[in-house]
Amino acid sequence: MNITSLAFVIFFVVAILVYRFLPSPYRTGWLFAVSICFLLTWSWNLAAILLVVATVNFTLGRWLGVAENKRKFLLWTGIGFNVLVLVALKYNGFYISTLTSLLERMGVQTGAGGLKLLLPVGLSFITIQMISYLVDIHNRILEPELHWLDLALYVVYFPKLLSGPVERARTLLPKFKHPSPINGPEIEQNAWLIVVGLVRKLILANTLLSIIPAEIFLHPEEYVGQDLALYLLAYAFVIYNDFAGYTSIVRGLSGFFGIELTNNFKLPYFARTFAEFWERWHASLSQWLKDYIFFPVSRALAKKVPNREHFVHLLVPPIVTMLVSGMWHGLGWNFLVWGGLHGLYLFFERLGMGRGPRRVPAEWSKRRQVFSATVVFGLAVLAWIPFRMDLVTGWHFLVRMLSPQAWMLPQLWLVRAAIYGSTDVASWRQFAFPDLRVLLMLIPALWLDGNQYRRKSETFFVDWPAWTKGLFLAIVVLALMLLSFAETSAPFVYQGF
Amino acid sequence: MARAPLQNKSAPTAILIFIIYLVILASSSELIARTAWVEEISPYHSVGNNHYQFEFKWFRLQDYVKQNGGVDVIILGSSLVNTGIDPDMMREAFYKQTGVQLRIFNFGVEGLTAAPNSITAGILVERYHPALLIYVTEMREFVAGTGLDYETRFLADPWLRYELGDFNLPGWAVDHSAALQHYLPFRNWMRADFLETFPLYLKRYRDTTASGYELDRLIGVDIDATPDRNNPDDAKNFAAYQNYQIDPGRLGNLKSILDLRNRGETTILVVEMPVHPTFYAFVGGETVHLQFQQTLKALVEASSGVFLPAESCDDIPLEGRSNRWHLNYLGAPIFSECLGQQLSILADQQNTSFVNVNLAGSK
Repeated sequence: MNITSLAFVIFFVVAILVYRFLPSPYRTGWLFAVSICFLLTWSWNLAAILLVVATVNFTLGRWLGVAENKRKFLLWTGIGFNVLVLVALKYNGFYISTLTSLLERMGVQTGAGGLKLLLPVGLSFITIQMISYLVDIHNRILEPELHWLDLALYVVYFPKLLSGPVERARTLLPKFKHPSPINGPEIEQNAWLIVVGLVRKLILANTLLSIIPAEIFLHPEEYVGQDLALYLLAYAFVIYNDFAGYTSIVRGLSGFFGIELTNNFKLPYFARTFAEFWERWHASLSQWLKDYIFFPVSRALAKKVPNREHFVHLLVPPIVTMLVSGMWHGLGWNFLVWGGLHGLYLFFERLGMGRGPRRVPAEWSKRRQVFSATVVFGLAVLAWIPFRMDLVTGWHFLVRMLSPQAWMLPQLWLVRAAIYGSTDVASWRQFAFPDLRVLLMLIPALWLDGNQYRRKSETFFVDWPAWTKGLFLAIVVLALMLLSFAETSAPFVYQGF
Repeated sequence: MARAPLQNKSAPTAILIFIIYLVILASSSELIARTAWVEEISPYHSVGNNHYQFEFKWFRLQDYVKQNGGVDVIILGSSLVNTGIDPDMMREAFYKQTGVQLRIFNFGVEGLTAAPNSITAGILVERYHPALLIYVTEMREFVAGTGLDYETRFLADPWLRYELGDFNLPGWAVDHSAALQHYLPFRNWMRADFLETFPLYLKRYRDTTASGYELDRLIGVDIDATPDRNNPDDAKNFAAYQNYQIDPGRLGNLKSILDLRNRGETTILVVEMPVHPTFYAFVGGETVHLQFQQTLKALVEASSGVFLPAESCDDIPLEGRSNRWHLNYLGAPIFSECLGQQLSILADQQNTSFVNVNLAGSK
């Protein structure tokens, strides 16, 4: 069940109505039940796998909580188990063909098309949440959960199940203890979060994604330089609005149950440094990586190289952290390069900041802030190339985009010929005009971001007078209706991770 | 970035205003869409059907009926009809023989077989009450599976389902809203392939005449060559049509077109397209073709229809074909003229003029 489908709307309305009228002690159970129902719409196998994951982590957590000895062993067993499940199910491309042929040589039938393993949705997100749960218990930051139901709900809670946010057990579990429905103003807040999410996902991201020709990422040599640049820019807005839209929707949905989820996207393209970019982009994952990779690596390094100003302290922690981030997104060289690039960006930034007291970007001059934000944005957009394409194609893409010979002036004579009917136009691409549809879609995208930035509020609509809100909603509904007639549909880009 | 401070003074009012705005926006777009100015700058209409040529024909026929006060003859079929029959030539030929000016419209739509056409035929007869419905067909159409993907997508259209009495909101909205009908030709504006498909759409829209005929400029090559199993194109046809068998389902579709006669005063004429004789090698030879003709003739005559076999108008020169099945700009006039003459003979036999005595029908 897709969260932008009509079936989901009905499912959610029923879930929230029952939740409101249930006595408090039963609400956690109800949330668990609806989450399982949601999972079952994908597959019963998924529910089974996730419940096994929850049970194993629950048991290990309890043991870790009381164990005096072998705590490290228990921790690493837990981490190993979670990573093993992830690798076995998500990264099966690496071994599945070998396993298939091995089984078939042993006389075991694997069915047409070979062995297929199921990838539970959101497994990468669940894995890192489970690891942080065990690490926090090990470090005595968190008491182990005593109620299986609460921990199982932490794993399968449906608003965050598909693509996060990556919630810490220490922040989310207490919210499950006393769930309470919301009233009046909070309802409007959460409703606006959902509206913003729908605008980002269905109007901005889906539309921009369908404008971008898929072949541009396979055969960039067939496109002029300005098309490559423009579609890459469009892709940067697709991936941002897609994921930010999704997060906004699920935060709004969860908010209706009185359970606030982390804000994952805080206008990342306005970041003035890469450190700030990662505080704003997929913030819950970034924070996780900081706590469980960056700091431990830094601490381990400090034991070997006590001088914190040493070169390796600037280089190794960000590179390792971002490489892990790249691998988390997918096991492929391109993801490693993407992570490595961001690691290098962070390294050079730290190197450039120099020693001595650092001023936060907000204290910089306006000119420096704009300049830095432009540089950070430009480099982040370039890094999307290896994120989206294999390395060879990505290299061709980059070289062609930056090559002046690949840029072409608009063919005005051809437009004139077409208007006067002296030639048949096979494609409007022949005109070598920039794709105005991208520019058209960037206007509302920038308007939304600009307003959220200026007003420092993601639901700034709440402050609007009723007539403006009404008009905005009417335009959104009409736009959604008109877009629904198009013969297109795009999955959430981030759902694959 | 924080959420806005909590306040909830205006939420219910905003919802009410939202509904009012929605009504205002929808009704004002509707008013604007119905002006002559909009029609002038964007003459394109669509009902959101995935077959854009069907839509051309649907709206062209509406315009044709508006301009001519009705339609006497509707010719239905696939692309063979679309590029193979020029209603104006046919009208001329009929006029020369009988002195009667018929109003003829070509409703040939690429890829549509008897299954979707039986539905279209029902809607057209219901709406326009033509005196004569000509259904043009050939052997390939009666093979199960031919044109199935077109058929599935075509029949899934909400508007079509609405037309057939299966009420649904999108279908109703599209059928009644001029604003939507003006927007829908551009509905795929955000698709990457729009920059390629829309110029083609415009060209074909421009190339389709007021009576629904689209000219084909292509002259086929090697049409008269004996099919060769080693040739990849021929091999595909052998694979598709050898062991030729008439699908009972498709015959049932043809029967439902023939049964339309019982609904009113519409005569049904089934015409077999004169494909190039080398085609019969794919289906197993002339004997199989003769069996096909006999089956069709028996079915048509049992339903009080008229069957016109391919031999009636097969004097098409080689350069008049764009491939083994389709006629081009040289072949179509010859076939259309012949068809007009055959029609005059039929009119004489049946003692009718095929002039629609009903007014231009509307639902």
